[in-house]
Amino acid sequence: MADVVLAEHLSKSYGKQRGVVDLDFGVHPGEVFGYLGPNGAGKTTTIRTMLDMIRPTEGRILVLGLDSRSDAVEIHRRTGYLPGEMTMYGRLTGGEYLRHLAALRGGVDEAYALQLAERLGCDLSVRIHSLSHGNRRKVALIQAFMHRPELLVLDEPTQGLDPLVQIEFYRLIEEVRAEGRTVFLSSHVMPEVERLCDRVAIIREGRLVAVEDVGDLKARALRSISIHFERPVPASAFELLESVREVVAQGDVLHLTVSGPVDAVVKEAARHQVVNIESHEPTLEDVFLTFYGTGTEGGEPDGE
Amino acid sequence: MASEHAVQLSRGRMLGTVFAKTLRDQRRSYPWWVVGFMGTVVMYAAVWPSIAQNADMFEDYMKNLPDVFQELIGGAGGFTTPEGYLGSELFSFLGPILLLVYAIGAGARAIAGEEEGGSLDLLLSTPVRRRRVLVDKFEAMVLGTFGLAFVAWLAVVALGPIWDLRPDLENFTAACLHLFLLAIAFGAIALAVGSATGSKGLAIGVPSGFALVAFIVNLFGTTVSWLEPVRPLSPFYYYSGSEPLANGVDVVHALVLVAIVTVALAFAVWRFERRDLAT
Repeated sequence: MADVVLAEHLSKSYGKQRGVVDLDFGVHPGEVFGYLGPNGAGKTTTIRTMLDMIRPTEGRILVLGLDSRSDAVEIHRRTGYLPGEMTMYGRLTGGEYLRHLAALRGGVDEAYALQLAERLGCDLSVRIHSLSHGNRRKVALIQAFMHRPELLVLDEPTQGLDPLVQIEFYRLIEEVRAEGRTVFLSSHVMPEVERLCDRVAIIREGRLVAVEDVGDLKARALRSISIHFERPVPASAFELLESVREVVAQGDVLHLTVSGPVDAVVKEAARHQVVNIESHEPTLEDVFLTFYGTGTEGGEPDGE
Repeated sequence: MASEHAVQLSRGRMLGTVFAKTLRDQRRSYPWWVVGFMGTVVMYAAVWPSIAQNADMFEDYMKNLPDVFQELIGGAGGFTTPEGYLGSELFSFLGPILLLVYAIGAGARAIAGEEEGGSLDLLLSTPVRRRRVLVDKFEAMVLGTFGLAFVAWLAVVALGPIWDLRPDLENFTAACLHLFLLAIAFGAIALAVGSATGSKGLAIGVPSGFALVAFIVNLFGTTVSWLEPVRPLSPFYYYSGSEPLANGVDVVHALVLVAIVTVALAFAVWRFERRDLAT
């Protein structure tokens, strides 16, 4: 099946500002796709291009097989969008606001919207300007989900949500996945992405540095290994190994930073008396550092 | 599924379209516009008897004024006829100011206000075309402005007779129509500037500044010879130049104002459809 979102040489520049440069990625049907990067990397720019709020400088982005420029209305019909930052009509109640958006969409199942409100613990009878940030985000989440769109585009969906609501949100995402619908979500919260996403793209300063399966990405990540030897071992032997990025000696212990398979490290260690080996499972945080680390070899350009 | 009556997000009304929602947004402010505008008109009407009784004195006074002031407060048929009185008071100053302030405000809020406020992204993420949103808000601006012009008309027609203020109905109606068209011309310019730039400040400032210059050019154009040729560049010329209070609707002048509205609206749509929106 064709990709639900397909960016082809997508570039967006705003005069002096960077925007995004030559993005190529595809989101497969039915997957939860994470779009990762720190603030200002170009996540929101990419998302607003998908929804035709801004237009590509070069290249194009197809959503549900439709061109973001010429078929924006149809894309909007079939997509649920949660902006990263937005204001809602403060003088309306949450319910009135949802009703307004539902009317503009035409034919939204209000019972489902109400059910979402109940699950997220959102009081729809309160005027939006008197809601807390978190409660406003709930209203915004409901409007993204309420028409059961084929594609959900969520910009930093859990920001401002308290932990219990976050868990309910994760359940919602699981339901969407179970129904075969597709989710594109941006985030800079690693555990969340690890928990939710099948694949991720990592964007850095407007360029994609990786588009990969979450598992594969973790396998490539830098991991830290501490080896406790019987007596001090010179770091130099390990520094020569290709997979080793860094070695710090501390008495009998060597702390290594390793990228990729640890095979060579283990074999080198086996030439000495080893007391203990501690390997730390890399988190996406480590993955991130692999690509964003200050080191010169901060990562490979693209995951083929 | 829950019971029938519970399956509803809200009982809120007027949320079905952008047009209805835009009108609904004025639920609180519009009544005050109506009251204020009507009060202004009634005040003028109530002063009328004292003007009419001292007609000779005012005529003499007027004759001694410089031409520009005669033009400013004189208008059609002298100061002491009902038409002349309304022309010099309601239609030369407060009427246009109030109606322009309303129309420019509505035009500026339409797109630029919503964009600066941060609510445009979600509105436009619904399957509604950008041009539909813009035209809906334009229509709401036109309707609101028409309503205020109608209030002025109604106040004079219905309440004027209390103070014996009975302008020629046809000509008075014509003047109200010209006033309405003038206001929506500036409202449409505000909408166009806001749609093209996304800046509410510009959307208010540009048409307001233009209105001020256009007002002065039209006013002095009759007496200052070098301004005479540029007078037709002022929308105010098509508002009062033909003296609708004396001569009725000037179809050509009215159409020029309609043309300004049309061009401004087309420009607004053209720019808005092609532009990146600010977050």
